[in-house]
Amino acid sequence: MYPAAIEKYVRPETVAEAIGAIGCFAAGEAIFLAGGQSVMQAVKTRLLRPRCVVDLQSVKELKGVSVGVSGVTIGSMTPYAALAQETSLDGAYQAVRDAAARVGDRQVRNRGTIGGSICWNYVAACMPAVALSLGMEMALKGKGGARNLPAHEFLGSPLETAREDEEILVSLNLPTALANTGSAYKKWGLVTDALPVVGVCASITTDGSGNCASARIAVGGLGEGPRRSSAAESALVNVSVDDLDGIARALQVGSDEIETQSDMWADSDYRKQLIRSLGAEVVATAFARAAS
Amino acid sequence: MNTTVKITINGETYEEHIPNRMLLVDFIREVAMQTGTHVGCTYEGVCGACTIQLDGEAIKSCLMLAVQADGHQVTTVEGLAKDGELTSLQKAFNEHHALQCGYCTPGILMNMDEFIKKNPNPTEEEIRHGLVGNLCRCTGYAHIVAAVKDAAGKSA
Repeated sequence: MYPAAIEKYVRPETVAEAIGAIGCFAAGEAIFLAGGQSVMQAVKTRLLRPRCVVDLQSVKELKGVSVGVSGVTIGSMTPYAALAQETSLDGAYQAVRDAAARVGDRQVRNRGTIGGSICWNYVAACMPAVALSLGMEMALKGKGGARNLPAHEFLGSPLETAREDEEILVSLNLPTALANTGSAYKKWGLVTDALPVVGVCASITTDGSGNCASARIAVGGLGEGPRRSSAAESALVNVSVDDLDGIARALQVGSDEIETQSDMWADSDYRKQLIRSLGAEVVATAFARAAS
Repeated sequence: MNTTVKITINGETYEEHIPNRMLLVDFIREVAMQTGTHVGCTYEGVCGACTIQLDGEAIKSCLMLAVQADGHQVTTVEGLAKDGELTSLQKAFNEHHALQCGYCTPGILMNMDEFIKKNPNPTEEEIRHGLVGNLCRCTGYAHIVAAVKDAAGKSA
């Protein structure tokens, strides 16, 4: 449980310097270090043996949340503790706050970052499901230029993403929210705030009469990686907040559609039950936030 | 392989040439010889005994390289009391019997010291939520929660 030798440590101050620093080594030999709350565990167990660590702590342009005409930009190095307090996300993007406020523990939230989490794409992480449900776009930069990828193209199986080793995730971007939109996220683990066995995120846009006009439901904690449920999403259209049977039916077809694994934490059927029960809660909360 | 760092711990600056792979907790314990910061879970980042404050924020010092703390201010449990006078949190831990073996206590103090500064009037639920990152295998947490609640009221 101790890191292998690390030849070089660099602390760039700009994205350009960071990309330059990582380029001094062959692909995979140098790593970006964000908050380090997952990556340092991998370095200590020697799952990763980087020759060079490029520490992003001083890259100011990667930090903070800004709301502009084209939407919301979340800097990849924004820590969970700051996101949990970010009231500009309330309503349409409040699921980010729900997830950030319950990730890990206080110490992890002080240091851990949303960008680090999404790039690690751990099976029991909260942010991947949130990113899918809210339709986040990942803004990447590398020596070959910049590119933007929607969350579903960025996220792969657990621990896999479309990011190249020398690419840096600059920000997580959200489009300007549609009116009457609310979102919510909830996870379940074996003890308080434990890593999620299952986490569900819902984003609901309502029409003039308060019925669901469109929904995005995403589930995390799955062996194949986080995913949306198109079956649940289409079944929620035209359902009202008071139609508890309609919401339950939508989550039933959602849990039927999603393949769940059995492991030491929960068996497959129990995961499906969690998708239904957590799903009903987050859908109700998302409806309420859409109305406020 | 090595880097020269300047890390300030409890007001004293340590300038040292250290291996890049050295963890911050080991710099604190073995270079600065401040052994109040503990290692409980063999560096897995789950027990919270190594919690310190980095620029005032509670973090786990086994999940950081010491080189990352270059230029930063570290506060450990030794830095809480000023001129031998314990903080209200430390006194409350004594008065409420909030420790038995005491191994986890330094980490809990460093976490809760920041917690009550940010949340001077916490509910029991908020305190318990704040303690998630610190394992205690003696007390069952009840006395720790009582001590934090008492201290929060006194420092407000």
